Amino acid sequence: MKGPIRKKSRLLVPMVWIAGVVGVWELVAFLLAEVLKDPQAANKLPYLHDVIVVFVQNADTMLQAGEITLSRAVVGFLLGISIGFILAVLMSLSKIIEKIAMPYLLIMQMIPILGLAPIIFSLVKDLDTSRIVIATYISFYPIAINMLSGFQAVAKDRKDLLYTYAAKQPVVYLKLMFPSALPSFFTGMKIAAPMAVTASILVDMLSNKDGIGAIMIYSLYGGGDKFWPAVLTGIIMGILSTAAVSLLEWLCVPWERHSRQREGDSV
Amino acid sequence: MAELAKQTASAGTNAEILIEHIGMTYHTDGGEDVPALSDVNLSVAKGEFISLLGPSGCGKTTLLRIIADLLQPTSGKIQVAGETPHEVRMQKKYGIVFQSPVLYDWRTVRRNIRLPLEIMKLPKQEQEARVNHMLELVGLTEFGDHYPFELSGGMQQRVGIARALAINPEILLMDEPFSALDEFTKEKLHEDLLRIWRKTNKTIVFVTHNIAESVFLSDRVCVLSPHPGRLSAIVDITLPRPRTAEVRSLPEFSQLVAKIRASFEGV
Repeated sequence: MKGPIRKKSRLLVPMVWIAGVVGVWELVAFLLAEVLKDPQAANKLPYLHDVIVVFVQNADTMLQAGEITLSRAVVGFLLGISIGFILAVLMSLSKIIEKIAMPYLLIMQMIPILGLAPIIFSLVKDLDTSRIVIATYISFYPIAINMLSGFQAVAKDRKDLLYTYAAKQPVVYLKLMFPSALPSFFTGMKIAAPMAVTASILVDMLSNKDGIGAIMIYSLYGGGDKFWPAVLTGIIMGILSTAAVSLLEWLCVPWERHSRQREGDSV
Repeated sequence: MAELAKQTASAGTNAEILIEHIGMTYHTDGGEDVPALSDVNLSVAKGEFISLLGPSGCGKTTLLRIIADLLQPTSGKIQVAGETPHEVRMQKKYGIVFQSPVLYDWRTVRRNIRLPLEIMKLPKQEQEARVNHMLELVGLTEFGDHYPFELSGGMQQRVGIARALAINPEILLMDEPFSALDEFTKEKLHEDLLRIWRKTNKTIVFVTHNIAESVFLSDRVCVLSPHPGRLSAIVDITLPRPRTAEVRSLPEFSQLVAKIRASFEGV
């Protein structure tokens, strides 16, 4: 019998975790620079505190680039949500649509995004559009699949209940299917959100114009100390995107929170 | 058998539910035909409390689902208040209670009871009034704003009953509603159900595999036997009403239970 995790220790876990990451990073950087005497140590893995100093010094550049990358990722993500949502509804409405669409979706997922990004870029010839298209492309799938499985997991007697009241299809979706699938929808979004950010960074890398990816690329080849701060910015954006979705989930799916809490209590 | 025929006929033409030669055969994917019900004849009077009793596989739930228009029989005729089950369902005259409470976790008790009223598009004020009335009827007035997970199994099933009665249905269909509850909760709910039945005068079709339960509750017990499911006896329950806990200790009670149990032995 383990008691529920108390507030204090709930804060303790992430703090230990962060301390661990920082500790390992600093240690490895120290080993590279001081023990192995690697002349490239500052490029391979600089000290975290150095990275943070450069990050702060270049905060304007980083934030500007980050904003370009992130805002396009968000637009793509929102489009991905819409497409994923519509696909999931269509597939749940008709087995035939599901059977026709599924192979296409699977094949689309097998195309490496690394190869697809330059193709899209050469087609639309616009960096912003490419970022959005690729972010959409990568984020709709996890949302569609998770939501579909959420729809399919709706218990039969819950549907029978509405059938008994002669509820029409839109009412069934509104009152039962959507609320039931909401937790799965959020699961899909949590997977898709950082992927959309990654996709946007990837498209940045296709040019050296703007965006976090562009800073990474030209620092990588042209040298300078901005590579790691740019990576750090990318990480922060990824974490922010997931955190935003989690916050939204916390607000929108209170009953899941309750039942999870109860499961925790009964352990 | 002659007695059975007489009993079915006696309820006559003003029967609330009239079942004639109903048969149900399931077709498996392997092309096999599995008979679930064969030649069932039954007439239920308005305001009657009738139980469908039998072991698993006897087709009692199948019969209930046929009445509810959740299943279409493969042969025979069924009329409910002079209409087809489909017509009755479209007019929202069925209340249904399942084995599990089938509550929607994202809705409070109050909003779960309101669900069928929303589907009927009743005015907001009337919805509220009816929900309050139902909460009072099942003794859950203080729990209106609780979520289902905060309630015990017995309380959840009460919510299920309140929801079924909220639309003021002609017929209440109950599919082993108390089978998952402990003995004490079950006996309490039996008395509650009879009290509610007296107040509302609904026709109730109650599916169970518990002999004592069917005897305690019903006006008549329909005994079904398996392979294939068929109606093997109809037993009049002559116990006095209103029935309270003391009825269980009457010799007639034990005699009726023994009589019904004996009717299974030849099977």
